[in-house]
Amino acid sequence: MIEFQNVVKRFPDGFTAVKGLNLKVHEGEITVFIGPSGCGKTTSMRMVNRLLSISEGKILVEGRDNKDFPAEELRRKIGYAIQQIGLFPHFTVLDNIAVVPRLLGWDETRIRKRVDELLDLVGLDPDVNRDKYPRQLSGGQQQRVGVARALGADPPIMLMDEPFGAIDPITREVLQEEFLQIQKEIGKTIIFVTHDIDEAIKMGDRIAILRDGLLEQYDTPDNILAHPKDRFVRDFVGSDRSLKRLGLVRVHELMDTEKVPSVRIRDTVEKAEQVIKEHNVRSAFVVDDDGELRGWVDLDGIRHSPKSLLDAMTEADYHEIGVRKNNTAREALSAMVARSFRITPVVDKSGRLLGSITLKALQDLAEQGWGDEEGNGS
Amino acid sequence: MNRIAMLGGLIAGLGFFFLPILNLKPNRLASGTSFNLLEFQGDDRYLMLFLLALIPIVLSFRNDAESRGWMLVGSGSLLFLLTLILPAGAGANLLLDPEAYLGEGAFIRNPRILPSGGMVLGLLGAYVTIFAGVRDLARAEVQMWVQAIATWVAPLIAIGLLVNGSFDVYSILVEFYANGAALEQKFVEHLMFVFISLGVGFVVGVGLGLWASRDERVAPVILYAVGIIQTIPSLALFGVLLVPLARLGDRAFLPTLGFFGVSLAIALVIGVSYVLLADREPARLKIVHLLATAITATVPLALFVGVFVSFLFRLANVGFTSGAYDSTTTTIFGLLAAALVTWIVGRWFVKPDGFLRTWLRRANWLLSGATTVAVIVLFVQAAGNSRVLGTVDSVSTLTIRDLGVSGIGVAPALIALTLYSLLPLVRNTYAGLNNVDPAIIDSGRGMGMTPSQRFFQIELPLAFPVIMAGVRNAGVALVGIGTVATVIGAGGLGDFVIQGIVNTSIDQILLGAIPAIALALVLDATLRGLEGIFTSPGIKQVQS
Ligand SMILES: Nc1ncnc2c1ncn2[C@@H]1O[C@H](COP(=O)(O)OP(=O)(O)OP(=O)(O)O)[C@@H](O)[C@H]1O
Ligand SMILES: [Mg+2]
Repeated sequence: MIEFQNVVKRFPDGFTAVKGLNLKVHEGEITVFIGPSGCGKTTSMRMVNRLLSISEGKILVEGRDNKDFPAEELRRKIGYAIQQIGLFPHFTVLDNIAVVPRLLGWDETRIRKRVDELLDLVGLDPDVNRDKYPRQLSGGQQQRVGVARALGADPPIMLMDEPFGAIDPITREVLQEEFLQIQKEIGKTIIFVTHDIDEAIKMGDRIAILRDGLLEQYDTPDNILAHPKDRFVRDFVGSDRSLKRLGLVRVHELMDTEKVPSVRIRDTVEKAEQVIKEHNVRSAFVVDDDGELRGWVDLDGIRHSPKSLLDAMTEADYHEIGVRKNNTAREALSAMVARSFRITPVVDKSGRLLGSITLKALQDLAEQGWGDEEGNGS
Repeated sequence: MNRIAMLGGLIAGLGFFFLPILNLKPNRLASGTSFNLLEFQGDDRYLMLFLLALIPIVLSFRNDAESRGWMLVGSGSLLFLLTLILPAGAGANLLLDPEAYLGEGAFIRNPRILPSGGMVLGLLGAYVTIFAGVRDLARAEVQMWVQAIATWVAPLIAIGLLVNGSFDVYSILVEFYANGAALEQKFVEHLMFVFISLGVGFVVGVGLGLWASRDERVAPVILYAVGIIQTIPSLALFGVLLVPLARLGDRAFLPTLGFFGVSLAIALVIGVSYVLLADREPARLKIVHLLATAITATVPLALFVGVFVSFLFRLANVGFTSGAYDSTTTTIFGLLAAALVTWIVGRWFVKPDGFLRTWLRRANWLLSGATTVAVIVLFVQAAGNSRVLGTVDSVSTLTIRDLGVSGIGVAPALIALTLYSLLPLVRNTYAGLNNVDPAIIDSGRGMGMTPSQRFFQIELPLAFPVIMAGVRNAGVALVGIGTVATVIGAGGLGDFVIQGIVNTSIDQILLGAIPAIALALVLDATLRGLEGIFTSPGIKQVQS
């Protein structure tokens, strides 16, 4: 979809900001450019829509050299959003979003429909916001309008330069989540520039790590965390990269649905004791007839009330002790550490026990990366 | 207790008591005799003013704020009106028999009455009383309304009385009636100074500001140059222009035209070669080349525009003020008014995409076109007038002076005023365009706007309020500086001021100064209005 071929950028003052970039951005994916400040992320991105000229090499857009398109035409089919947002303060929200459609000569009814559609998409009520001016919006709302504007004419490609940079961390997380949701629907080919590694891991289908105008490593977030190519990348992704990797994996990918230590609430105490020993765990989960998690039972409890399971068990709210299958492995780990569990139940939203996840499984996953790296050396 | 109301009453009361309310002069030049309110003892009406000044002082001790407020507003308004009206009556009495007041044998040919300090303090005290009362009113919106009425109605009443002739005894009006026709002509001249130099200055200044904002190398040169002009005292600038313009005036018209043509052709060659070579020249040479283009083009162009504008001014002046073409002038103003009405109605009072708007728009085009034609007709008519070209009988004997350019008169005035208008125009255009957030322009570029789309849709609208502020500054300044143009015989309202200074006649000075002040205020308000209409609500300064 977008391909950098030996791209070099030399500025008039002689400074070479990009020194031979080779990279292929895949269709329908978010490719994140990341690296230390001044490494050439913005420069590389701005050559795609020819806001900067290319000194050597070329960039293919949809298979054609981007110099073959007239610059304005090229830019109109590439959405563009920047950190400073750059909304036109003298235009209403509607007029801002309508910029590219109007340049393309759409008729007004179609434009109005499109604007309302986009405002809905980015979570702003069209009737309330359409006629407002940028200064009447909060920073987060402006950022949303900026994204809507970039999507204005439904461009197949988007360039986003730290689009959530100027926003407080909480709002940024919300916008990231929302944008991932939107991307699921629209499936654009996106170059996303950031210098926040957590954002890169969260947003990127692929991450390109740049350093001094060169591509250091280009891979999926998981592979970059698991197999950082060299010391620079390792330092860049941070010493907590094992934990970060756990953040990429969802609980349902790791959970065990077969060997779950569970007993029914009407079962006998002996049955419970047997399950605990069989699974070699400290406690077993107790579920009711509907399969809803009600608590757990351990050997101590059985020793105190050897007659009835109901007396022996410790009742607990499934919200308290269970994790959901869409939580990340990192969240599961955090829950286990907080409650000093070695195994934690996985429940659905009405509390039914779906399976379990063990501390061991999480450890194994986190260690994979370190193990490989020791093997490869560097 | 309302201390401010007490202050208002004291100001008016002490003013009436200690300061003269009127001044009676036996003629225009002599200093006169002052009259205190108390000197009209025979007539009880004038004592009423004292009573009215006492009322706020008494009222200020009342405790019920709401009723106190209304009473203060009422008594203040009454005080205001009577202070305006009553002294005029007293003045009329004085004029009936001036010798009774000035003594037998005073040289009385043209007795005059001037309002004096007591009247000013009386009006001031009345205003203070009214606003002290407004502050007492409990509800904010009532306050707002009363205040608006007090602010606008009082001056309107004063204007009404003026038109009604109630103030005719005062000497400034006597002066006005004596000089009415001259005033009209000087006012039109003044208006033309301001509009022509502002118009030319606008084109040149905005152009230069635009150039400066596009090219950071020439920006300091341009800004420095227009800054220097501003430091030259206006009198000196008029003087400096005297010699070269006198020389220019002596030249025959046709050869000069040829000279302009040749130098423009040279400028064109240098300019085209600059454009063609721009990418290949080293930076140093490039800027020399650029400056050469600018200078070779500017000098003949400026001269040409100068001569042309002077001639137009002469035509317009004769056309509008000679009285010979009154029917054409009336037509012009009628068409202009009609065009304005269709424009305003079309813009605000009909549905945006209705049939009526289309229709009104067409009518507006038609009327604007007709106005232009009528102006041209007026100019052609005026061109035939002997006051324009004098006794010239063929083009070959025509000199530049015959077109209106000479060392003294309108030409140097227009040139100097145009030069003076440049600084605010250049500076504000430059600042306005330069202060547009680069991120906004970048996002426009990134979305695929062409340079001209970017300029007209983003940069210009965003810089517009700043540019307009420059236009206002320049316009108001020109009204003032224009009064100095009289010293080089250019005419305008300054004529009255200078005569007044020579004659030590305050009335004559005021006759020139008051219309100039009014013109400046109206111009400022009009330009502010235009600015408000054409500025997007998204970037308007928030009113607080
Ligand atoms: N117009 C220019 N002329 C000369 N050098 C430039 C120009 N623009 C950028 N550079 C240099 O090129 C390098 C790369 O700049 P770029 O803006 O691409 O960095 P970046 O990776 O986006 O950094 P950041 O994270 O700080 O935004 C920097 O060292 C910068 O100083
Ligand atoms: Mg950057």
